[in-house]
Amino acid sequence: MEGLLFWFCGSLLLLGGVMMVVQRSAVVSALWLVFAFLSAAGIFAVLGGTFLAVMQVLVYAGAIMVLFLFVIMMLQGPVMDGERRLMHPALWPLIAAPPAAVLIMLAGFLRGDRMVGFAGAPAPGFGSVVQVATLLLGRYLLAFELISIILLVALIGALAVGRGERKLPWK
Amino acid sequence: MDILTALLQGLPGFGGMSDQGLFITGAAVMATLMFTVMALCAIVFTWMERKVAGFIQSRYGPMRTGRWHGWAQAVADMLKILGKEDIIPAEADKGLFVFAPLVVLLGSLLAWVAVPWAPGFVAADLDLGLFFIFAASSMVVIGILMAGWASNNKWALYGAARGAAQMVSYEIPLALATIPVIMHVGSLNTQDIVIAQQGGIWHWFILRDPFLFVAFWMYFIASIAETNRGPFDMPETESELVAGYHTEYTGMRFAFFFLAEYANLFLVSLIAVFVFLGGWWSPIPGLDFAPALTFVIKGILMVFLNMWVRWTLPRVRVDQLMYLCWKVMIPVTLLCIVGSGILMITSGAVG
Repeated sequence: MEGLLFWFCGSLLLLGGVMMVVQRSAVVSALWLVFAFLSAAGIFAVLGGTFLAVMQVLVYAGAIMVLFLFVIMMLQGPVMDGERRLMHPALWPLIAAPPAAVLIMLAGFLRGDRMVGFAGAPAPGFGSVVQVATLLLGRYLLAFELISIILLVALIGALAVGRGERKLPWK
Repeated sequence: MDILTALLQGLPGFGGMSDQGLFITGAAVMATLMFTVMALCAIVFTWMERKVAGFIQSRYGPMRTGRWHGWAQAVADMLKILGKEDIIPAEADKGLFVFAPLVVLLGSLLAWVAVPWAPGFVAADLDLGLFFIFAASSMVVIGILMAGWASNNKWALYGAARGAAQMVSYEIPLALATIPVIMHVGSLNTQDIVIAQQGGIWHWFILRDPFLFVAFWMYFIASIAETNRGPFDMPETESELVAGYHTEYTGMRFAFFFLAEYANLFLVSLIAVFVFLGGWWSPIPGLDFAPALTFVIKGILMVFLNMWVRWTLPRVRVDQLMYLCWKVMIPVTLLCIVGSGILMITSGAVG
């Protein structure tokens, strides 16, 4: 049952990824990315990481992608036209080469007995809220708090860039 | 679901079923039940809203359809909506336009899965129950953005942008307001949250400590904004945006939005009930003979409170809405978390 669900969610994830890349409209492509995120959440849930799955839906699909959609909807026209001009057909092989190389290397690495697919669900309790919380607020407390400072700096930086230096509230 | 599986096992013809078969049958029965309750609440609450609005504005509301206080008005409206022509605008993005109402409905239906109706009676007894509900209902925002964008209409797009901004913002105080309760219970499981409130009205979380009392009202305000209802119905302001993100929708597709709106209204009321107002426990200890009924009655009272607010207060402006969320409600809810935590430590509830 779990194995079947794993492959099902995996193929949906692949479908979402491919559809996202081949879409012409940026909004539709972003929505396919949401679809891919949801399938990834499905994989996490099958693997026993329910907390991670719910987080994936809440943060990525529910919040970050909403901001993505916002920005895409506001900028649609100019950005897309610029991108079309940039993407000369002659450049396509050049752009496709690095990801293709990575893919071939990955395939080589996973060849043989490393390619196990679904290896069964982990022990119960793995990835539970208690475990994640104990790690985040215990062992990795410093890193966790530093990340919030980095985010704050990024926020203030965005404010400075967006409003122009002279119009900042503290000037 | 445990109770349901046990019940199914007792029925003739289900006894010899495998565990997996029982699980799937139970899930199907539960899904049908949830959807029926959801559709019913849309019908009941539209009628109730008109009667409440009428009462508050000193008039009768619907009186004629179905003789007794116009009870059949909502049913008649539903039938009318089903019979309407289904229009897709020529310039709309067809795929997204068709798909958007389904995403909105899916988001609110999925969240119903973790609602604890009675002891042991919950569609999915998840360890992350409350968290799951918030995650599932955050999918509604994506559906609203899809609808606004696909309609290819500037009013619809404005409505969707407002709706998304409002819902993403108010999700934060909504979730933060429930954190003091989670700290008290030590679990996100919806059943555990209700069980922790056993023993009469003074054990309900709203009356446990002053910070929880404040947190309840913060939750209530945020839940009104989260369901896009007055005085925070910015995405639908008739005087500015025609009808917001569902301007271009007709017939069945409009009915989906409608259904989702009232399902969401009932959902946030039920969350308020099981998180702060004692869930299925009756106010007086020892009177718990009908847990599910107590739960639903409390939920309907919360819906009434919601309607009361909607028909009493004037609509706010967009900037006021954002000011309230980011500069008032989030700091206050954070304060509630800290205050409730300090009270827990000083009273010796935690080490």
